[in-house]
Amino acid sequence: MGQAFLRATNLHKSYGTGRAKVDVLRGASLDLSEAEFVVVMGSSGSGKSTLLHLLGALDTPDRGKVEFRGISVFDRSASQRERYRNHDVGFVFQFYHLLPELTVLENVVMPRMVGQSFVGWRRTAAAARRDAAELLERMGLSERSSHRPRELSGGEQQRVAIARALINRPALLLADEPTGNLDARIGNEILNLLSESNKSGQTIVMVTHDAKVASRAHRQMFLGEGMLRRGDRVTNQPAIADPVITKVGQ
Amino acid sequence: MYKWFLAWRYLNTKLIAFFGIASVMLCVAMVLVVLSVMGGFLDTVRARSRGLHSEIVVHCDSMQGFPYYEEFSERLRRELPEVVRITTPTIYTYGIFRVPTTNYTKPARVFGIRLSEYQQVNEFKKGLHYDKYFPGTTRLDPQQMPTLGVDPSGELALPPDLKAANEKWRSTETDRQELARFDAAPWAPVLLPDTQYPGNAERVFAASVSGPGYEGPPRDGIIVGCDMINYRRADGNFDRSLARGSDVALTLMPLSPAGNPTGEPPVRWPLRYADDSRTGIYEIDSLAVYVDFDALQAKLAMDAQALTDGGMSKPRVNQVLIGLQPGVDLDLSRERINRTWMEFYAGLLENQELTQTDFLSLKHVDVYTWEDMQRQFIQAVEKEKVLVTILFSLISMVAIVLIGCIFYMIVEKKIRDIGVLKAIGASPKGVAGMFIAYAAAVGVFGSVLGVAVGAMFVWNINDIQDLLARLNPQLRVWSPDVYSFDRIPEAVKTADAVWIGIVAIISSMVGSLIPAWIAARVWPVKALRYE
Repeated sequence: MGQAFLRATNLHKSYGTGRAKVDVLRGASLDLSEAEFVVVMGSSGSGKSTLLHLLGALDTPDRGKVEFRGISVFDRSASQRERYRNHDVGFVFQFYHLLPELTVLENVVMPRMVGQSFVGWRRTAAAARRDAAELLERMGLSERSSHRPRELSGGEQQRVAIARALINRPALLLADEPTGNLDARIGNEILNLLSESNKSGQTIVMVTHDAKVASRAHRQMFLGEGMLRRGDRVTNQPAIADPVITKVGQ
Repeated sequence: MYKWFLAWRYLNTKLIAFFGIASVMLCVAMVLVVLSVMGGFLDTVRARSRGLHSEIVVHCDSMQGFPYYEEFSERLRRELPEVVRITTPTIYTYGIFRVPTTNYTKPARVFGIRLSEYQQVNEFKKGLHYDKYFPGTTRLDPQQMPTLGVDPSGELALPPDLKAANEKWRSTETDRQELARFDAAPWAPVLLPDTQYPGNAERVFAASVSGPGYEGPPRDGIIVGCDMINYRRADGNFDRSLARGSDVALTLMPLSPAGNPTGEPPVRWPLRYADDSRTGIYEIDSLAVYVDFDALQAKLAMDAQALTDGGMSKPRVNQVLIGLQPGVDLDLSRERINRTWMEFYAGLLENQELTQTDFLSLKHVDVYTWEDMQRQFIQAVEKEKVLVTILFSLISMVAIVLIGCIFYMIVEKKIRDIGVLKAIGASPKGVAGMFIAYAAAVGVFGSVLGVAVGAMFVWNINDIQDLLARLNPQLRVWSPDVYSFDRIPEAVKTADAVWIGIVAIISSMVGSLIPAWIAARVWPVKALRYE
């Protein structure tokens, strides 16, 4: 098996203990190529977000591993995992999760700031603000850069969240129901932004339970009974490796 | 970088932070006020104590004193001229002070001093009342009572020498308020006493019909502690009931060199009230009177007495006060003077003429610095200062708990933001650091404000007390009778303010440690589900 861009192998994750124990993931595996746009579908509570959290090293699996560009994420040190989250991964959440005390521009810049020391930031702050302003312009939010999140609509907030996720030019964008809290029209705008980003080479894993939303991806995966199953290829993308779907355990 | 940025932003936007700042501010202000007042109290005690004695005191613990003081003083001046500037002998004893016009009696601690020398070894001169307005006119030798009179133009006038002295003071006094105060009642604080006291009304009448001058038989002068005969008003100034030059008397009991009563009846000594003295320490000013050294020595039979074998005894004193040359080290000087005393004492022991009584008296002699003399008093205040500061610091620990509570609430409200920060790569250490930086910022602002508020309070503490006392006299907490000093010390030391501020900042950070630790342990997955 060759080196995948992102490979999750035999992921197990449970919550609770004893009789209250819930096996959320029971051997989920996934291979992802660079510049691919994959949607993971599943019913509510099927473990989609848990899978995303494991791929983004926000949580650790009970068993199994996640390899990013051939290196196991969970074999890395805590600080290396923090750098992975800061530098290689961008998160977009259903509820945007912007920091309410900061302006739009400051929210977007924040991941860049997190990766910098006091001195380093003095050196790179101007470039970071310039990059953030460009991203906001792409998102159509140039006029809103000095606004606080509470002054924005849901769609605008989600666009800010996407800009924040992209500020460090991450290799992988993980989106957790990014349209789940938006109406159809606004949701569509968000999906367009993600698609555009994907067309320019951004690898995206998005979880959703909405089939219409899922149709925007290159391929769909279904998460059920703790395992991932292949879905339909929905677009003709060149040079995308066949995903390797395995059922391990159970 | 984000730690400082978010700490600053939270400080600006979170109302709850202002409660933290307010609590730190109040604690800092409270400790600063307590430390400043107690520190000022201690400094005043030290300064006053320093002014009471000479720098070095050769002191005899026994009341009948010690002999050979003249020889020792001479030896000091000869052998240690680079250390000793001046020496002066003093006697102290106890007696009964009486004002004949009122039959008012009071126990008194009687000091026999050579006024001109005594004023050169301590700050006694600064505390003299009449000597301030009539410089050089306070004497302890025999004197008459000065009286006001009417000059040829029909105006009230002073005797010429007092008038000249007063003019001298007026020409050199730079304090306009002091001059205005004197001019507002030119005679009242000086020579013309309250007429309600027996004899005073007659004197006022006499002044209106005769020329200024002196009256009565010459008598030795006495300087009286200001709280002995005067009434101290709430503002710290005195109502003087006794006219300058009034008759007073001391009753003394002489002791033999061995410390026994001489068998003679107690000595009654008529004196003239020459001035009053204010050291600023109530315990002294309410008890001390000062008379001429040589006269007292004779009254107490401590001068050279004829012995049955035809010889003469050695005169005795209780202390020799030593003023040092400028700039010499106090403790080093004490050591050198003590060594000289030990050599002198050894020399006396070799002298076969030393009587048994003299030998025993000399055993009670020791050499002290002014700090040694007042050590008990100063140490009591020092300990009081430490105790009060510790108590208030302990109370201020409440601020740490309060900061802990406030930051716990902040962390609870910021769980989701903590999750976001961790999702974008913030480390647990970084998240904890952010809250500690936030607490440090609260500490810095609270400290700066607390120092400002505390300093303003201390600088105006007497005005605040006066205001409270006007509203209700019971609210006057600083009574000069109780605390020796008229005014509450109102100096703030920069070093105190700085270290209190630093401790407050560190305390704020300590208070935030547990919440910061909780924040560091927040599980991002759970935090992000927190909606």
